[in-house]
Amino acid sequence: MLEWLIENNVVCHALEAMIFASIACSILGVIISRMRLSSIGFTMSHAAFAGAALGMFLGANTQMAAIAFSMAVAALIGPVSDKAKMAADATLGVLFAMSMAVAIFLISYMEYMGKGLSASSLLFGDVVSLYREEIYALAAVCGLTIIFVLAFYKEISALMFNMKIAEAAGVRVKLVYYILLFIIALSVALSLNIVGGLLIFVLLVTPASIAGQFCFNVRSMFIVAPTVALFVSAFGVWAGFEFTLPVAPLVALLLTGVFALSVMLSFKRRINTKIH
Amino acid sequence: MSIVELKGIYTAYEGGEKAVIKDLSLRVERGEYVVIGGPNSAGKTTLLESINGLIKITHGSASVCGLNVSSQADEVRRRVGYVIQNFYFDPFTPFTVEQVVMMGRFGRLGLMNRPGRADYDAAQRAISLVGIEDLAHKTIGTCSGGQQQKAMIAHNIAKEPEVMMLDEPFSNLDFVAREYLQGVFKRMVRTGVPILMVAHAFDGLPDIPIHLVVMNQGRISYDRNCRAEEVEGIIRKECGVSENARVADRK
Repeated sequence: MLEWLIENNVVCHALEAMIFASIACSILGVIISRMRLSSIGFTMSHAAFAGAALGMFLGANTQMAAIAFSMAVAALIGPVSDKAKMAADATLGVLFAMSMAVAIFLISYMEYMGKGLSASSLLFGDVVSLYREEIYALAAVCGLTIIFVLAFYKEISALMFNMKIAEAAGVRVKLVYYILLFIIALSVALSLNIVGGLLIFVLLVTPASIAGQFCFNVRSMFIVAPTVALFVSAFGVWAGFEFTLPVAPLVALLLTGVFALSVMLSFKRRINTKIH
Repeated sequence: MSIVELKGIYTAYEGGEKAVIKDLSLRVERGEYVVIGGPNSAGKTTLLESINGLIKITHGSASVCGLNVSSQADEVRRRVGYVIQNFYFDPFTPFTVEQVVMMGRFGRLGLMNRPGRADYDAAQRAISLVGIEDLAHKTIGTCSGGQQQKAMIAHNIAKEPEVMMLDEPFSNLDFVAREYLQGVFKRMVRTGVPILMVAHAFDGLPDIPIHLVVMNQGRISYDRNCRAEEVEGIIRKECGVSENARVADRK
């Protein structure tokens, strides 16, 4: 897609993937941060990680296995929270531990069987060995995320305000919440190869937190968070390749730096001392 | 047919050993002003949440606006306004009062439909009716508790509900705001919208016949019409608190 701009295919693929992943994750991040469901990020990323490990164990396609496992976890979060009458965060904690256990169990077992498994690409991402199909899939999920937010903007804003009040107002909260979980699962599973299971959380939470320092309304948060994520990711990819640095951790560090700066500069936090 | 009709309903929380509401029957007609009183944990909030399907009814039948609450809860909630008892909005909540009031219309609109002119007009009318025009562009988290409570009342008025339920709606409001809003509710009653209000303070009740429901341990112990000035005395009597205690309280 960006070949007209960048000649090097590897850099081009890395940039495209990072742009799509950062836009999709940061938009979803705005929703989950406001709903106090940030832990969904690491639960989903570890579910995808466990799915990929299961795929390797079974000799299947790791990406497809990651998607399938995250989808299964997404399908469990809502009903388990409802059935067990637990806060969604507690359910996320249980499923996170289960996913991690599955992944560690399978990796240890494969090592014991002498099969050997390099989990580093799943944990830390590997932007230099991406297939074109993966980028197309990420572009599709990015598009799906934008369509979801535009189509259900009214319902999403009601959920972000207060789930109980939204439900009492007659908004179909469960349906929108479940669709949200599936899109998060899909985005996280497809972004696993790029930023890895451990760093995906940064893409989900940090851009939304940066936007939260400056934005007074949800609409501007949905614009600022992906814009910041896009520019920082693009800069991170460029700097990573230019100075031979690991791209994903660099993007994570850059975003964290921007967050620290935004907290210092946030006018929302400023108290007007001239008022008497 | 009554607009709210409960027949022998039971409600229990998961894991609870006893039903919170037991064999409760109640009829509410259009244009009634219902005050629900009783001691703490009598089941008053549970009753309201059973009426709009937020809590599952385990036995008995409930119909609201001619709809079965158990099987058509979403549709019931679209038609019933409900001002919840406890809410907290942090100072960084990125919604203005106007947006929050508008959200009251979202359920009626249905999935994916955008608000139109009529919805914006209804929200503006609700804001004017409650008298919070000056707060419309303020973020809800930066409003005081009383202002937030007024915003939530406007949110439910904007919905143009067929039944209005309020759970201690005046807990953060001064007496001026209470009397003003009682006037608003009285006008709603005159247009045929029944008000079901859980309350612990009864000053400022409108001078219209009150349908008083007193609850005790999940059951209704009193269900009759009375005058506004009789409400507190009847509730005290039903709860076993003497009139002398009331006088002492007042002193």
